[in-house]
Order: sequence, then structure tokens, then C-alpha cells
Amino acid sequence: MTSVLRVQDLKKYFPLGKDLFGRPTQVVHAVESVSFDVKKGRTLGIVGESGCGKSTTARLLMHLIEPDEGRILIHGKEYGQIGGRHPLSELRKQMQMVFQDSYASLNPRLTIEDSIAFGPRIHGVKEVQARQMARDLLERVGLNPGVFIRRYPHELSGGQRQRVNIARALAIQPEIVILDEAVSALDKSVQAQVLNLLADLKKELGLTYLFISHDLNVVQYISDDVMVMYLGQVVESGPVEQLYRQSAHPYTRALLNSVPAQTPGTRKDYIVLEGDPPNPIAPPSGCRFHPRCEFARAICSEKTPDTVRVEGEHRAACFRLPQSAGHQHYIALQEVQDDTTH
Amino acid sequence: MTPLIEVKKLNVTFQGEEGPIYAVQDVSFDLAPGETLALLGESGCGKSVTMKSLMRLHPEHKTQISGQIQVAGQDLLSMKSSALSKLRGKTISMVFQEPMLAFDPVFTIGDQIIEAVRRHEGCSQADARQRALEMLERVRIPSAAKRLKAYPHEMSGGMRQRAMIALALACRPQILLADEPTTALDATVQIQVLLLLKELQRELGMSMIFVTHDVGVAIEVADRTAVMYAGRIIEQGPVQEVLSHPQHPYTQGLLAATVHPGMDRHQPLPAIPGSPPQLLRRMEDCAFAPRCPHAQEACSLPLPAVDHQAARWSRCIAHTSA
Repeated sequence: MTSVLRVQDLKKYFPLGKDLFGRPTQVVHAVESVSFDVKKGRTLGIVGESGCGKSTTARLLMHLIEPDEGRILIHGKEYGQIGGRHPLSELRKQMQMVFQDSYASLNPRLTIEDSIAFGPRIHGVKEVQARQMARDLLERVGLNPGVFIRRYPHELSGGQRQRVNIARALAIQPEIVILDEAVSALDKSVQAQVLNLLADLKKELGLTYLFISHDLNVVQYISDDVMVMYLGQVVESGPVEQLYRQSAHPYTRALLNSVPAQTPGTRKDYIVLEGDPPNPIAPPSGCRFHPRCEFARAICSEKTPDTVRVEGEHRAACFRLPQSAGHQHYIALQEVQDDTTH
Repeated sequence: MTPLIEVKKLNVTFQGEEGPIYAVQDVSFDLAPGETLALLGESGCGKSVTMKSLMRLHPEHKTQISGQIQVAGQDLLSMKSSALSKLRGKTISMVFQEPMLAFDPVFTIGDQIIEAVRRHEGCSQADARQRALEMLERVRIPSAAKRLKAYPHEMSGGMRQRAMIALALACRPQILLADEPTTALDATVQIQVLLLLKELQRELGMSMIFVTHDVGVAIEVADRTAVMYAGRIIEQGPVQEVLSHPQHPYTQGLLAATVHPGMDRHQPLPAIPGSPPQLLRRMEDCAFAPRCPHAQEACSLPLPAVDHQAARWSRCIAHTSA
């Protein structure tokens, strides 16, 4: 299968405050060496806690902010305002985004019809046609055009507004849709409706999704592949079944384990991590997870682990893995420990 | 055992700009000493409004409250404001979803806890400070002595919520009301705070009412659950029974629609069609009927009363008419 989207070594630092000479005094390491591929027609779920860089990654992909380093290739083409790259207006036709806050992402002064038709009109579709498209799309996302076309965003419920946002994203007929916490603000009963809609649209239009969420159950349900981020870095990625069944990184394991069981009678034993995720202003040295990791060894604070292949497409960055370069060191340490405990 | 909280036919109506909003309708429940009740429901179902009524936190000029609320043997609704301030924080205390908004940003965490302790226990500044320090240690805030001098904005979300819990528990209340206390937290922090609350509850022998929209959280913390929909409790019983054998079609629908591990990824989710009604009228009939797969004609008639004292009940004609 061909990659629709390929991301290589993406990096973004945000400066905070400036000194006398205009140099940043502090830097937020928002995204660091993030690389991944998304294959056509698949859904990549991106999970992680607040501040892990998942939303920044999405914004970088859309060129809403420019990366400091790294490449973003869509069908092998690079887009951007830099000379020699393809124009951003072309990028928008390929990739669209749906945000978490359904209200903030619609212009309150435009009717639903105007909001949806706006994109196609900018891209040169004739007025009449654009309006027809808006009607068709509303119908498609399950809202009766006769009822909703003249309404304003504040007259809709959260679920309805999010349907409008999806329709608007699809109006330009993109191939890739980034869903940044798109169902997180919705109540469960409405969330299920929107998730079903997303699944139907994907099948029908052959879409590729990037599904960003902190809800690990939803990500498991909707994704084909999953990428776990921690403090700006990818710690583990792979096919959803494999990653959820046999997570290789201690952070992934703790994160997945921290979700309360949804079935009664199965209160579980939690792997409780100490403390909060550290501040991305001064991320820990070496493996960024080491201060909270129960398996951390000296090497973990000294060197950054490489991402290694666990099995097939399943990859992780942890020294504990036998495949990792640090494993000799780790096993040696483990033996010493085992000896002392027995 | 006499219940610590007894709520009978509680109705809360707000004066909206376009007429009254019937936020809570005929809600009745009680809470035994040492028990945890989870109020489960989606946004706008009246769960937070019910909670705030238990401390009379609603603005009086815009709110009509009727019914009965007994807290630790006292009639809350007829209480004078001086008695009320004695009760709040001492007998019954509350933890909110967003600790940043619940703390006063211009005072340190320590000052705010000390103030509460001195107010209720009339002890010296030094003793109150000692209590504040103990509380911060108890909720496992690292370097607690230093954190006493921290302002709310200087703490992370998880730490702030711990500090909030320390403040709420500083006067050893009998009842803790927790309004989605972990919803704004990250998954790995949420579980820390949930387990901490459970542990503190056991240690201090408190009763707890836990408002949540998350089925998993309810299972984790609660003994009993009351499911709310459109301003009413529609099903009530032991958490295990209600969530493994839901009787009310809304509870059934909600559980089925909630994504959980082990679902078939290739099947559509059994979503509940439509959305909850607006609370612009009092509903004696079933508010869920328009979305209910089992709705019949009788559902649009006033529903027969249910026995709120029963260990397990649901407000659905399939269960009440028999």
C-alpha cells in the first residue's frame, strides 16, 4: 500500500519570553524528531496526554504553523510558502481538519450553508454549484438541508455542529482528514453517532484519517494504526491490535492500563505512574519518560533510545527491548539485580 | 441506619431568559454513612445542579427550589445563611471539575486551607497551618511545606486537584461531593486521583457523591449509582447490578453506545438516535420516549410513581406498571 502522507523528523520549538537581545529565554520542546507514514485508506490514531505534542503535530501537518525542521510529504510532494514548494492552497485540497471545539471553529455570522460553501467557492467552484454541494453534504452527514441550511451555529447542538464541521472539511474533497479531538466534547450517545458517520464516510469516499484523541477506547475502536506520543516524541507505534495487546513501551502500558474498566465486576490492578507528565520546557534528558518509569536504569537518563522494530510494523523506543541497542547493558544490569534479590 | 442525606422530590427551576428551565424534576435519593453514590449522566441531565442544591450554591434570586433536603439531620432548605456557612466545608464539602476556577488565584494554597480550618474550628494560625501541611501530605503532594506557599497557577492540573481535595477535606467533613473531579485530568493522573479519593474516603469514613459521565469511573468508585436523564433519576441501584443488567432503555443505550475495549471494530456502534430534550417543561411522561426503541403509546402518559426506597428501581413503564 502506498503512503499518502509521510512525515520525516518533524521538529517544532516554541520560544517563551525574550531577553535583552531578543533571544528566547526558554524554549518549549513541543515536537521533536517525529516521523511516521500514513497509508491510503487507513486511520492513524495519535494518543498521548496534554502537552505531548499531538495537536502541534496536526497543526504542523496543516502548515497552520511552520516546522523548524523536517519534511511533510503528501504523495511525495512538499507544500509550503518556501520557494520551490507546491502552494498551500493545493495542500488544503488534499488535507482538511476538524477541531475539538465545534463552536469556535465555525464563523458565528455565517449560516451553515455559507460556512460549508465557503471552501469550494474559494477554490473556484461557482456559487450555485457550491451551494448545491453544501446541501448534498449536509444530507450526507445526516442533517436535513431543508431544516439546517439557513441556521446559524448557535442554533445547533454540539453534535449537529460537529457534523457541520465534518461536512465543511469534506467540501473540498480532501483525501486526508485530521480529526483533532473531534468527538471528545460530545456526550457518549452523540459521540457514537458521529463515530459511525466518520466510519461510513471513510468507506464511501476512501478517506484517510488522522485521529487525535486522549480517549484510548475510542482510538482503539476507530484506528488501524496507533502512535503514542510522550513529551513531543513518538514512543511507540504500530497496528492497533498489536499495540493494545502487547505494548512494548512502559509508558504505553501504563497509559492503556490507567483507563478504568468499562465492565462491572472488573475493577483492575492499576499500574499507577508517579507524578504528572513533566514540563516540555525542560524535558528530562535521555528517554523523556525515565523519571516516571519503574524500569529506568542509568542508561535511560544518559542516552535517547532509538526507535526499534518490535515485530512487523510495531516499533518502540525503549532500552528495555531486546532489539534496542542498549539491551546488553540492560540485561547485564538486570542480572546483577536478580542476583541481589534472590 | 439513618441516612446522612435524604432528598425528597427535589425540583430545581431556573429563570431563563425565555421562560423557566426545569433543570431537576422530582429527584429523590438518600445516602448512607460511608457510602459512595455515583450520579451518572450526560451534559445537561441535571447531575451537577442536583449536587449544587445539596450545598445551596444556586443563586437564590434566579432559582426556585422545592422539595426536601435533609443533610445530617438538618433541613437544608429552611436553613439560615449563618447556619449554612457552618455546614459548608464542615459537614459537607465539594470538589469541582476545574480546580483553577475553584481556588482564589490571589491567595496561596496554604492560606486558603488555613482560612477554612480557622473558620470552622476556631484554632490558632499555627495549628491551622499544621493541619494544612498534614492535609497536603495526605493527598501526596511532594514537598508539601513548600507547596503551602504556592499559588494555584504555579501547580499542574493534577497537583491543583489534589490541593482542592486537601482543602475540601481539611475540616474532616462527613460528606464529600465530587463534581467530575477527574474529567479535566490526563488518564495517568486521573487514576492517581481516583485511587487517592477512594483511599481517603475509607480512612476518614466519609460518604461521597460522585458526579460523572464516565461509566468506568462510576464502576471504579461507587457502591450505588443513580442514572440521570433530562432532569430526573431514571434508574437507581447497586452499581454492579445497574451497569451489568441495566433496566431502563436509556441506561441500556448509553452503555451500548459507549466505546469499550473488545468491541468489534468493523461493526457500527449502536448509537442512540436524536439528542436529549430541552428542559422547557415539566415532564411527567417519559422524556426518553422519542429516542427509545421500545416506546409505546403509554409512554406519553404520566408515568406511575416509583418506590424510591426500593434497592433497585427504574422509571420505565416496562418496570413500573407490572
